[in-house]
Amino acid sequence: MELGASRRRVPWGDLLVALGVLALGGFFLQGALALRVLPSYARIGPRFFPILVGVALLVCGVALVAQALRGVRGVPEDAEDIDAGAQADWVPVAVIGATLALHALLVGRLGFVLSTTLLFMGVALGFDERRVWRTAPVGLALSLAVYLAFTKLLGLRLPAGVLPL
Amino acid sequence: MIETLEALLHGFSIALTWQNLLWAFLGVTLGTVVGILPGIGPALTVALLLPVTFKLDPIASFIMFAGIYYGGMYGGSTTSILLNTPGESASIITAIEGNQMARRGRGAAALATAAIGSFVAGTIATALLTFLAPPLARLGLAFGPADYFALMVLAFTTVTAVLGSSLLRGLTSLFFGIGLGLVGIDLQSGQARYTLGTLELLDGISVIIVAVGLFAVGETLYVASRYRRAPQDVEAIKGSIWMSREEWARSWRPWIRGALLGFPLGGLPAGGAEIPTFLSYGLEKRLSRKPEEFGKGAIEGVAGPEAANNAAAAGVLVPLLTLGIPTSATAAIMLAAFQQFGLQPGPLLFTRAPDLVWGLIASLYVGNFMLLVLNLPLVGIWVRLLTIPRPLLYAGILVFATLGVYSLGNSVVDLITLYAIGFVGFLMRRFGFPVAPAVIGMILGPLAEQQFRRALSISQGDYSVFFTRPLSLTLLIVAALALVVPVLLDVRAKRAQARREGAAQAG
Repeated sequence: MELGASRRRVPWGDLLVALGVLALGGFFLQGALALRVLPSYARIGPRFFPILVGVALLVCGVALVAQALRGVRGVPEDAEDIDAGAQADWVPVAVIGATLALHALLVGRLGFVLSTTLLFMGVALGFDERRVWRTAPVGLALSLAVYLAFTKLLGLRLPAGVLPL
Repeated sequence: MIETLEALLHGFSIALTWQNLLWAFLGVTLGTVVGILPGIGPALTVALLLPVTFKLDPIASFIMFAGIYYGGMYGGSTTSILLNTPGESASIITAIEGNQMARRGRGAAALATAAIGSFVAGTIATALLTFLAPPLARLGLAFGPADYFALMVLAFTTVTAVLGSSLLRGLTSLFFGIGLGLVGIDLQSGQARYTLGTLELLDGISVIIVAVGLFAVGETLYVASRYRRAPQDVEAIKGSIWMSREEWARSWRPWIRGALLGFPLGGLPAGGAEIPTFLSYGLEKRLSRKPEEFGKGAIEGVAGPEAANNAAAAGVLVPLLTLGIPTSATAAIMLAAFQQFGLQPGPLLFTRAPDLVWGLIASLYVGNFMLLVLNLPLVGIWVRLLTIPRPLLYAGILVFATLGVYSLGNSVVDLITLYAIGFVGFLMRRFGFPVAPAVIGMILGPLAEQQFRRALSISQGDYSVFFTRPLSLTLLIVAALALVVPVLLDVRAKRAQARREGAAQAG
């Protein structure tokens, strides 16, 4: 099922992800071994599952690296709205990623409504919707409606920020 | 039998109060909407609603969640009939025949047989659930910790083996999820694990953050990376939604066969709705008097798989309610919802919270009926959801994702965790790692560890406890087979292929 098109060329993305799995396994194993456990308690103590997870991820990581070196690629998932023939384009991922980072930075300062309006516009921009006069009002209306519904009706707390809400 | 009927009647007396009818209606409507919309599904919706329902009555919440779960199944079929892009894997089959029917001007009949079939199968399966759940729960009472642990291992391996195309990638995803579940204070020893020295992680990573990150943020990033810019054609609904006599005659047997196929397969710990839909399609194709129509819009090819799909959804609830074992991502999130209310699904749930269990089961009948009404005459309204511009849709999904997580505790750390996990979800999709095993691993992992340690403390640290109890041993053997058999079959298929290629070259 997972034999990719090119057999010889090493898929660098797959290899990087495989190395990431290895690193994750190392992290879990190291954390497990750092736990201090009373000897009498060792078998039923808090270490067994962490060690299991660490070792399992290391084994999976080795197998994934081996696969990547043989040129095996993972099969990208299918979804609605996906162009099956398209190569992954990292620009929209970067745009949306930056938008999310900005949102985490601003939500406490600008308040929920304004920062979420920016979030809405940024994600739409990642999907190639450049008409700001279209995304700004929709985003603002949605954020405001959600804010009011959550704070006034459901009694949850969200930061008002600079707006006098 | 009589007791069950009495309990069910009692359940109806709870489900039919006007408040609960309202919650059920809200649930099935939301479920239909998220089932139709791409990029958002029942698992994500329930996860997003968890913080909101925290203050709600648990019975009302679960009636709504069940409505979302069933509604998502109905809505999914509408999308796959009218758009030629299979979304969730359980609808791939419907997309083949249903979309062909829609293109040949029989879209209304396809929608009708899908909706009525879903209703018939959903009702049959809910009835089976009603009568099978109590004896199964009683059986579950005999399970010891070792048996439970073995059962969870079985659920892990089958879910991993069934979902996704690569066992290795599924296992990686599963162990990543179990690892996420380990973060926080270990309740038995009081030790902090993987908290990186921060206070925020002492309570562990919230299931909501992981689910919303993997589903909403991960999916949005992934779709953006390979976004289909050309607008999609939504097939217009042509024909009458009242099926002709011939269409009824060709539909009712596939409905019933689909229900009988889907329910048990959904209920096995190897759950999920994909396999029953494929099996039902194959069966209908073999039994049909007009097999040549298959691939060109055969109504049996919509009726059977859609019925199987819905029956499997009810089947998934059997191990969830009676044993506390989730076999799909949505079921795992529902398990997390039970935990939020301090409830543990399993054999004791039937005696400790009979109002909840029977109110929930009764509401499944009610919800199914509502969905039939909601989806048949009103389908034209739902279809308009498909024309929402995608940039605005995905932007909206991320607004709700952020809102759901931020409202947990107004914490920026939560948001950053959400976005980081979302990026992991993107990578998983991009490089072919199935997401569901990670969610199931995260939610079921801590329970498995608990049972594991309980079993070992009873046996005083002797690992043989897992292999000396017949039940636990059997379950572990089946779990091992679930991992090994697909690999062996794969190797055999590859050898056969190599031999054929060799023969072709020689000849």
